[in-house]
Amino acid sequence: MFNKILLATSATEACDHAARVAFNMAGRYGANLDIFHVLGLPTRGYSQVAIDVKTRERVEVDDEYREWVKEEIRGYYEELLAKLNDNFSINVSVGVPHREILRQARETEPDLIVMGGHTKHVEDSVYAATAAGSTFQRVARAAHCPVLVITRPAGSFWGGFSRIVFGTDFSRASDVAFDYALGVARALDCELCLFHAVDVSGVPTGRILPQDDIEEQLRSARQRMRFRYAPKLEELKNYTIDVWEGLPYLEIVKYAREKQADLIVMAHHAKRREGEDTRIGSNMEQVVVRANCPVLSVNRGVK
Amino acid sequence: MPEGTLCNKAPIETEEQLKALLGDKGGKTYYDEMKQLDVDRQKLWDTIRKTMKSRVKTWLKICARCGMCADSCFLYRINDCDPKQVPAYKVHSTLGEIIRKKGRVDNEFMQMAMETAWAKCTCCNRCAMYCPHGIDMGVMISYLRGLLYQQGFVPWEMKIGAGMHRVYRAQMDVTPEDFVDTFEWMIEEYEDDYLGLNVPVDKEGADIMYTVNAREVKHYPEDLAEAAILFNMAGEDWTIPSRGWELTSLAMFAGDWEACRLQVESVYEAMERLKPKRMIGTECGHAHRATVVEGPYWAGRKDGLPPVESIHYVEWVAEALRTGKLQIDPERRIKQPVTIQDSCNYIRNHGLKEVTREIMSYMVEPGHFIDMAPNREHNYCCGGGGGFNGIGLFRPQRNKALITKRDQILNSGAELVIAPCHNCWDAIRDLEEEYKIGIKWSFLKPLLIDMVIVPEEMKPKE
Repeated sequence: MFNKILLATSATEACDHAARVAFNMAGRYGANLDIFHVLGLPTRGYSQVAIDVKTRERVEVDDEYREWVKEEIRGYYEELLAKLNDNFSINVSVGVPHREILRQARETEPDLIVMGGHTKHVEDSVYAATAAGSTFQRVARAAHCPVLVITRPAGSFWGGFSRIVFGTDFSRASDVAFDYALGVARALDCELCLFHAVDVSGVPTGRILPQDDIEEQLRSARQRMRFRYAPKLEELKNYTIDVWEGLPYLEIVKYAREKQADLIVMAHHAKRREGEDTRIGSNMEQVVVRANCPVLSVNRGVK
Repeated sequence: MPEGTLCNKAPIETEEQLKALLGDKGGKTYYDEMKQLDVDRQKLWDTIRKTMKSRVKTWLKICARCGMCADSCFLYRINDCDPKQVPAYKVHSTLGEIIRKKGRVDNEFMQMAMETAWAKCTCCNRCAMYCPHGIDMGVMISYLRGLLYQQGFVPWEMKIGAGMHRVYRAQMDVTPEDFVDTFEWMIEEYEDDYLGLNVPVDKEGADIMYTVNAREVKHYPEDLAEAAILFNMAGEDWTIPSRGWELTSLAMFAGDWEACRLQVESVYEAMERLKPKRMIGTECGHAHRATVVEGPYWAGRKDGLPPVESIHYVEWVAEALRTGKLQIDPERRIKQPVTIQDSCNYIRNHGLKEVTREIMSYMVEPGHFIDMAPNREHNYCCGGGGGFNGIGLFRPQRNKALITKRDQILNSGAELVIAPCHNCWDAIRDLEEEYKIGIKWSFLKPLLIDMVIVPEEMKPKE
């Protein structure tokens, strides 16, 4: 399942929780860990200068500097690296972060990309203003493998998968995510909790939605879930199907908390550009920053 | 020490030399060596006698030092009207002096001339518009750059840039394989969203051959995807050449005439090989000037034209919107205060001022477009033209130069600046980083992608 993991890290606190999970997984599943760091943003037209994301200094990137950065990373993760039996590599690159992460993933074809939260100063930089969306959003949209995000400390105290929450909106992208979640549940013998939230947030103010209507929607969604997923669930011993109503991203986070899930799997509405139907995209973004466990994003390009 | 190991009169010819130069952080050794570099006076004077034609001779002779050019120069104005920033002075104190002395100038003089040529003039050619004789100081500074390059007095990044063109026929270390592979990667990334998206490589006889800026390939490949999407949506018969795809020319900024020729010849060779009906270049200003306007002369083409009709990206966009090949969803037009940056190299130098405004009339909700003042052929340089953006040694001067554009933008009240030129885009990016005025800026492509109606057959089936 996980033979090769790409940890895209700023090698700062922002990625500590993600790093802990990535190292933990690599150790547990014997995966090779590629610790990948985009060290700077190209700047100044065609000059050779980059701004180092860690030191915020203007630097000229050459082989010597790259080696120095690799050493820094090695030092930063020294304790965690000791447990990996040398089954890892450290790579650094210069460029726009999402693009370089995707480039690396295209070359090394990992089974999973692990990412941390916002590196605030990077997202604040002028580059952020040139394109909508975070580095995570842009990686998740285009990657050919699932992307695991850990933004909160609570999400990192985790010792392996045992209960997975799969959130669906019945889209084709969600079907791909379901197949993936099912695969993980089977391979690692987990309980799978299928979940859908009926979105009642779009009700115009002043209009009261009759409870009968809500319950009707809940019933039909439950039916839809069974119809769509149950045939595939046969071999799985442990699963549940639930439908709640509310604000989808909050309901998913609440549900995962109640289930004490250690992983949430959701579809990233793959590749679609901003401006067009980003609703689920934004649900995903919200879940990512709120969840108490790692969140796995699967887009429809994932094989 | 007459010739340094890094700073010398020999152009970069190999990858190893390029790497050695790149390895000299910030050009420290390079500039140290420059202080010792001898001037080959005989060669300098011989070159002038061979290459200085009647135009430059006449201009130098008829310039009346009337000073009309002073106020036309944004660098003069932003530097507290320093007389040393008057365009006529900048030329006469450098090129004029070399000629008066028949090339008998020293190291110190050449270093001063280097600073004048690269930090006091962006070759925006605005002064020519205001000279009663039509003298173009930008053209003369460009000529001066050629002489300085020959003698090894050229900023470190410029020598690297020209070297890149010599080694890779691109302004960065991007090989033909990298180029095609990156384009194909972008198709992979977007083909699920735009059905039928493809990039025909080396197709003969296509209507359009598309050329780019190596920076797009290296750092912003989304730009390639966007170009492909727009060509596909417009139903164009287009192709990219696997060789001869680089439109830009840092060699032009560097004054490396030989590399200029080698670079455009590679593009012209692609045109001859693939025989497209037209060549369209990406959103870049100097690249258009190099390959379409000046290039034919570098390549010794008698008609002064590239082998096939060559147009700027803005001309294609205007045409596609005018003829309805691309249709904009009126709902998605820009509804915020927006202005456009007139790139000197294709507005002042190639007369495309109305074309960009026509594009604005389609893309912007009426009432939201604001012109900067002055504008069109009178517009000021972005502040980073002519190589200024890339030269670390002259960073403080460049940052000061950005103030002109900053204030023009602020005075317009625009929140979004459309800059269909790589150099302008970079300068505006840098001015935002330097002065934080809270604007956004963009090329045309990403904005168009968000507002053009996707043809039914390209929409994903879901």
